[in-house]
Amino acid sequence: MRRNRFGWVRFIGIVILLLWSLFPVYWALNTSLMTNSEAQSSPPHFFPTHFQFSNYEAIFGIGPSSASTAGGIGRAVVNSSVESLGATVLTLVIAVVGAYAFARLRFRFRGALFYVVLATLTLPVYATLIPIYEILTHLGLVNTYIGIILVYTSGFLPLAMWIMYNMFQALPVSIEEAATIDGASTLQTFRSIVLPLVRPGMAATAIITFLFGWGQFIFPLVLGSTNSTQPLTVALSALAGRHVVPYTMINAAAIVAIAIPAVIVFFMNRWIVDGIVAGSVK
Amino acid sequence: MSAIFRRPGQPVAGRRRPMRSRRDIALPYAMVAPLLVFIGALALYPTVLTAYGAFVHNDALDPPNHFTGLGNFQSVFSNPQVRQSLENTGLYVVFGVVLSVGLGTFFALLLQRRFRGRGIVLALMVLPWALPGVVEGVIWSWILDPTFGVLNSTLKSAGVISQYQLWVGTHQVESIFFISLVQVWQITPLAAILVLAALQAIPHELYEAASVDGAKGWTLIRRVTLPLVRPALAIAVVEGLVMSLNIFDQVYVLNAGATTASSLMTETYELAFNNLNFGQGYALSLLATVTTIVLSLLAVRIIYRKVEF
Repeated sequence: MRRNRFGWVRFIGIVILLLWSLFPVYWALNTSLMTNSEAQSSPPHFFPTHFQFSNYEAIFGIGPSSASTAGGIGRAVVNSSVESLGATVLTLVIAVVGAYAFARLRFRFRGALFYVVLATLTLPVYATLIPIYEILTHLGLVNTYIGIILVYTSGFLPLAMWIMYNMFQALPVSIEEAATIDGASTLQTFRSIVLPLVRPGMAATAIITFLFGWGQFIFPLVLGSTNSTQPLTVALSALAGRHVVPYTMINAAAIVAIAIPAVIVFFMNRWIVDGIVAGSVK
Repeated sequence: MSAIFRRPGQPVAGRRRPMRSRRDIALPYAMVAPLLVFIGALALYPTVLTAYGAFVHNDALDPPNHFTGLGNFQSVFSNPQVRQSLENTGLYVVFGVVLSVGLGTFFALLLQRRFRGRGIVLALMVLPWALPGVVEGVIWSWILDPTFGVLNSTLKSAGVISQYQLWVGTHQVESIFFISLVQVWQITPLAAILVLAALQAIPHELYEAASVDGAKGWTLIRRVTLPLVRPALAIAVVEGLVMSLNIFDQVYVLNAGATTASSLMTETYELAFNNLNFGQGYALSLLATVTTIVLSLLAVRIIYRKVEF
């Protein structure tokens, strides 16, 4: 009897969890498939009466109602992808190589340098926002992919390094020692023995870094004044800020921005959870 | 939790190597160099500039720049909009930390034991964490819409409210609560994952031993579970604290430039990039940076106690 009652309590709890986590996304999807008049009907429709994709066509500039209201969402998708992927690749390479040296190799100032890198984990956006704007302006890197990728990379590196450091620490040293005894150099051991073993850790780091890049807002807002580099987040907030754009269209753009993270979460959530846990062990 | 095992006579600093060539000595430095260059150039150097800039008069509309001592801080603190944003940020922190850690712990307890479909529930729970803050602001602003929002229509037909409400925009605490809720939606999965990982690391025998001693239900949670997940809770609190001190995206979208619910970050952005007063922007940035670091350290001190099992 008691067991049964506990089951019910948990069942209701899980239903609340799912409603809380999914309803806002469902509601955006629902709205994005409606006409504007249906979206404004009262009481609200919890399903679209007839599916139609005109909102999606409009934001990508296809079909009749485009041009005037479309916010360059197509270009923004390209920008977001280039910037997030670029930052992910750069961050991953630098973090993996650096973390291995910190985790396994001996050198002078190792401890001090390691803590300097870790300390930057606690730096909030405030600490760097205005100077980074000034530095990039000075270097002529405002409104460029390179500028944004460099800034993202510097921001993501401490966490990526920390996750990879913990992943390397979790490997038994004996494997590397055996390789060294067999005559492998440090680099050979790293490349052909260690790297294959930390592939799951690298996947976790890459996924988390990509998601961070995809969600960036304040830096690209400040560092890009034209839509040549503006990512989806900036384009979406500009679209929502113009009060003439109907909510159905804004929600369609939001769903476009949600699609990629949603696919990643659904298929790769194991690595995300591993990465979050590895990134928090203190 | 961690123990260092060291045999007597064994050197502390790792294994001994025979002879190291010059290349071997240089290798570690080459491996960490890119990392250090990036962090030096785009994290540490900017931070130094912020600390310095806070004491320099730097206003694009009133040149030239000159050292001003505490001048920027004085003008920042005498600015009523800044003071409002400080107060608002206090509320964001309280709502953000309490709600995300509370809800996250609740979710973690729900997912603690295995059941069919648990993996899928976990994946779906993580979704809001992975979405951009701006996107969340946008989809929630439609839910909270004063004329067509589903929250208004649902609450009205349920009889909770008699007329449609403007959830965000007029009333300070109410606006902050709802904007904070959107951020809580984003960061709760993080707290839940941290607590869940700690819960699953608790050895099952501990529960059995406590049950044998007659503990059950709430006592079990309070005496066994809670002390052992304390470090995870501490990290969740710090994460929530840092996130809510830095809240920007959700406020930018939902508050749309009004001062009602402005945060420290939106106010900094306003000062630096709309008023073009970098000096005051730097002063506020420095305050926020120091506050973030000090509060994180304090929270860790207060809640983090070593746990042995």
